[in-house]
Amino acid sequence: MQHERVITEFIIHEFLPDVGADDLDADYDLLTGGVIDSLGLLKVIAWLEDRFGICADEVDLDPDSFRSVQAINAFVERSLSRPAGVS
Amino acid sequence: MHDTPIVESFVACADRDPGAPALVWYEREISYGELYRAAVAQRDRMTRLGLGTDEPVGVLAAKSPDAVALVLGCLLARRPFLLPSATLPHETLRTLFGAAGCARVLTPDDDLALGERAAARVAVPPDTSFMLTTSGSTGTPKIVPVRAIGVDRFAAWASVHFGIGPGTTVLNHAPLNFDLCLLDVWTTLARGGRVVLCDPAQAANGKHLLGLLARHEVHLVQAVPMFYRLLAEAAGAHRFDRVEHVVFTGDLLPRRDLQVLPKLFPGARLHNVYGCTETNDSFTHEVDPARLPAGPVPLGDPLPGVQVLVIAQDGTPLRGRGTGELYVSTPFQTGGYLGEWADVGRFGPHPHGTQGVQYYRTGDLVVRGEDGQLVLRGRDDFQVKVRGVRIDMQDIERILLDHPAVAEAAVVAVPDDTVGHALTAAVRRVRGSGLNSLVVRGHCARWLAPAAVPTTVRITDDPLPRTSTGKVDRNLITEQSQPSR
Repeated sequence: MQHERVITEFIIHEFLPDVGADDLDADYDLLTGGVIDSLGLLKVIAWLEDRFGICADEVDLDPDSFRSVQAINAFVERSLSRPAGVS
Repeated sequence: MHDTPIVESFVACADRDPGAPALVWYEREISYGELYRAAVAQRDRMTRLGLGTDEPVGVLAAKSPDAVALVLGCLLARRPFLLPSATLPHETLRTLFGAAGCARVLTPDDDLALGERAAARVAVPPDTSFMLTTSGSTGTPKIVPVRAIGVDRFAAWASVHFGIGPGTTVLNHAPLNFDLCLLDVWTTLARGGRVVLCDPAQAANGKHLLGLLARHEVHLVQAVPMFYRLLAEAAGAHRFDRVEHVVFTGDLLPRRDLQVLPKLFPGARLHNVYGCTETNDSFTHEVDPARLPAGPVPLGDPLPGVQVLVIAQDGTPLRGRGTGELYVSTPFQTGGYLGEWADVGRFGPHPHGTQGVQYYRTGDLVVRGEDGQLVLRGRDDFQVKVRGVRIDMQDIERILLDHPAVAEAAVVAVPDDTVGHALTAAVRRVRGSGLNSLVVRGHCARWLAPAAVPTTVRITDDPLPRTSTGKVDRNLITEQSQPSR
């Protein structure tokens, strides 16, 4: 839950600039909804690395982890709880 | 067969029935007699300028009865004239006038000298009357000299095909510089009909268009798809049952707009007309209102005297089914672009024989189906590669327009180092629909290949920018879509 707000803000800023934060449900499917494509996915991952210090090389980049704001939040929480330097 | 010059036919009409109405402009009606006198005054003014024989002049005039008289004055003087859009930027106009060899530019009540140096020494082909320009939706406008005999032949065909004569009222929606006027203004005036002129300043105002049709008893409407869309949005329960012919041209008519036509015009025959500025009209297809085609409207039959070639990708003429580029040769066509554009390779003989026939390469891709019918597939300019996938931007536009809250859509490609081209969709939403990019993206993702889903979606409530000839201004939209960093 804790990062959902900032993730929503990023998605909206980057892909849906005319949409209000309240209009994007946390479980909305961003992949089948055409919001994030493969290139967009790279943008999201670059931002996660930058914002949360997650090292993408060390985690499993399954597209399902980025399917919704909820899923991205879960991915961030999982990655942050992992001890640094251990793959 | 010899066809009477349109200007002689116009003079004959004014002679026969000087009181007959020629033009409607807002609440004013201008008779053939008045218009003839104004045209003669324009010709005489031109004579006093002491121009060289066959020296072309520039005509800079927004649509008005005076502008119509000025063009008729040029035709009476048998002087070639360049008629660009008066809304073009100053520098572009100067370049165009110079390239056409026009040292003098006339407005309805003034004239300006551009100076000898500005005007190139150009050999305007003999028998040139109008010099039109291409739309420039994909670059600088090119100058298209139109042969007077081509205009006369066209008027002879069009007046018979659409039954234009005394008592006929024709709506003119296109700007005066647009080739559509060869039918709705110049053919009508050569046959004694009445032209209802739509002010270009009101051309995108659906309510105004509705008023023009409701107030004046219009029999023939010719317009680009945008007109029918605007009219349908404004029409409500209005029906125009006096309209006998509805002509749509200039672009693909989206299916849902086609579906509206039989309701809006219950008594009309529906015509899909295909043409270009370079060749004038080349094909016409009549749509049966009771049996609208499920797919795109076919191009139909070539006009009398028109020759058609479809050239496959390997450069050979296509026989049977398949896709290729459309080449046409018409009795109305130009001999080629003027000046520096003369050698752009759009005009030439049959690639494999048949001497003597000059074809124009349209740049339009067509598909020939099982039934032998040709269907417009899109322009080659509209194809780009996104992530290695060939994408036709018009396909995306069609999908966008299928969404009920999308009023207008244009898709442009911005070169991108990463993906080849990044697609931007500009969408005007139906007022009050609350459409946002979330919905648009979802809609695209449902119907399009992933690479065809636009990278950027811009929603607006304002009409999309248009070029001087009424086409969506893709250059401007592309420019607005360039990353600012």
